[in-house]
Amino acid sequence: MSVVLSPGSVEDAVAMLAEHAEAMPLAGGATLVAMRNAGLVEPTHLINLDCIAELRGIERDTTGGIRIGAMTRHCDTAACNDLTGSLLVLRRAAGMIANRVVRNMGTMGGSVANADPAADYLPALACCDAVLEVAGPEGRRKISIHDYVQGWYETALEQGEIITAITLPAPVAAPSAYRKIARVTGDYATASCAMALDPDGKGLRAAIGACGPGPLRDRDAEAVLRGRLDDPEAVLDFAACLAALADPLDDVRGSAEYRLRLIPRLITSVLSEIALQTEVA
Amino acid sequence: MSKKILHSLNLNGEEVEVATPAGATLLETMREDLRILSAKRGCNQGVCGACTVLIDGKPVRACLTLTARCEGHAVQTMEGMGGDRVMATLQRHMVESGGVQCGFCTSGILISARELLEEDPAPSRAAVKTALSGNICRCTGYRTIVDAVCSAAEELAQ
Amino acid sequence: MKIEGNFEVDHPRAEVWDKIRDPQVMGGCIPGCDSVEQVDDTSYRVKVSVKVGPIKAHFNLSVEVLEEDPPHTIVSRTSGEEGTRSSVVNSDNVVRLAETGTGGTRVDYIADVSVTGRLGKFGLGIFRKKADQLAEQFVVNFRDRLGVAQ
Repeated sequence: MSVVLSPGSVEDAVAMLAEHAEAMPLAGGATLVAMRNAGLVEPTHLINLDCIAELRGIERDTTGGIRIGAMTRHCDTAACNDLTGSLLVLRRAAGMIANRVVRNMGTMGGSVANADPAADYLPALACCDAVLEVAGPEGRRKISIHDYVQGWYETALEQGEIITAITLPAPVAAPSAYRKIARVTGDYATASCAMALDPDGKGLRAAIGACGPGPLRDRDAEAVLRGRLDDPEAVLDFAACLAALADPLDDVRGSAEYRLRLIPRLITSVLSEIALQTEVA
Repeated sequence: MSKKILHSLNLNGEEVEVATPAGATLLETMREDLRILSAKRGCNQGVCGACTVLIDGKPVRACLTLTARCEGHAVQTMEGMGGDRVMATLQRHMVESGGVQCGFCTSGILISARELLEEDPAPSRAAVKTALSGNICRCTGYRTIVDAVCSAAEELAQ
Repeated sequence: MKIEGNFEVDHPRAEVWDKIRDPQVMGGCIPGCDSVEQVDDTSYRVKVSVKVGPIKAHFNLSVEVLEEDPPHTIVSRTSGEEGTRSSVVNSDNVVRLAETGTGGTRVDYIADVSVTGRLGKFGLGIFRKKADQLAEQFVVNFRDRLGVAQ
């Protein structure tokens, strides 16, 4: 069994992780405790991050940017009124994770650190150009979400580093949406799509989830698509660029081929959904 | 034999002290050390919902919650909800509709259903199904459970 | 689950064959290989560590060469278990060497792998991706070992 340590500061947590070779940081526990129960991980120490004030809460900074503490539960992100317009996509993604009970437990920092390829936050954060704040034995640093996932369950986090917060640029008045295709409500995504329109409605940002080790985003293709959103051919070309970046798994949720076919469908359907939001607004 | 750690918990409104193995989950502590048996060990992975309890009024999975983390928080299980009118109504409708067969999932289902009715006193059938999507029942086929929650909601609205 | 692939090197087939049949060379090329111990002419004990996210798996494997036809084909069977996770791995492997038109060698491999026990919970999809990644790393290491073709 593991010894549970409950540090009161990020510095203490980092020191405890450095001190015990087989220690693991414990965020909400929704994945890590399940893995431990299954005997897949055997940490000697669990560093409980629940008592660190710095890791809690969602705040706006002076420029309107948003800082989400790493220990923020999915249920709080899903109910956060500061996540509007271009950031609504993140709120929607949070509300689609697993089920109500798991959303009361799981945290954004934990989910991002685990980097499950089919989890909901990563594509939404990639669409929002999020930046991760991390702390470790070498001090504090920031990692762009676009440089974060480096392989299957492999991230830019170094040994002993923890995520302290996720920061987002100030929301702008533009529609955004998250769509997830899953076998049943609450399952991991077979494929997902996070999308936000540019404020002038002429371009978009889009990220595809569950079709590779990390979210797929192609900023060059977004630039090409700008000004051509009402051209279905151009939209399909854009989807093809994202599909070309994909490296999907073949698993119980769907074959690799099926996932590739979902990409253009997701892009066109989410685009028409948010275009409709603009007309209503 | 692993070392036991002493924890103080607020369980069903009472302060209790319990010695439990280091790193134990709330589910293990409740079932093994406190003989609180309404929360069941199904998957032990947070998937089946049979161990759902309330912490500070919010439903969570006891199998994914470490006992060490529960200090300073209020834990509520089915054993402590005897006086709850919403729960009593849900229970009666579950019995009447045949929503209880083997009973293994029942306590988790009732806690999730009660949470739903607190947020949405007049849920649609679809909303009930979504709210119970984290609770697995292998007996009933769910229809009688959804019936029970809907009819309990109707009765409570009167 | 079938894992298959191929790669080409500039070296002649006889040289590649010697390297592939040298347990110390292979041990040095397999990513995460902690040790290779030769039991007899055709059997080996191999320890390999593989990391997937937070899960560190340590495999104790025995490799038995069932058939060999130098310098063309090796058929082998790998079996073993994962240290503490009550998981069992079995794999039937075929490696074929062919001469390329330009004096080099093409290596084709097929492994039919099964994983049961706790690690099986992960699903084979992620194992395949991990295996492909390890194979890529193996090829880099193997080319390194061969050095520049004479």
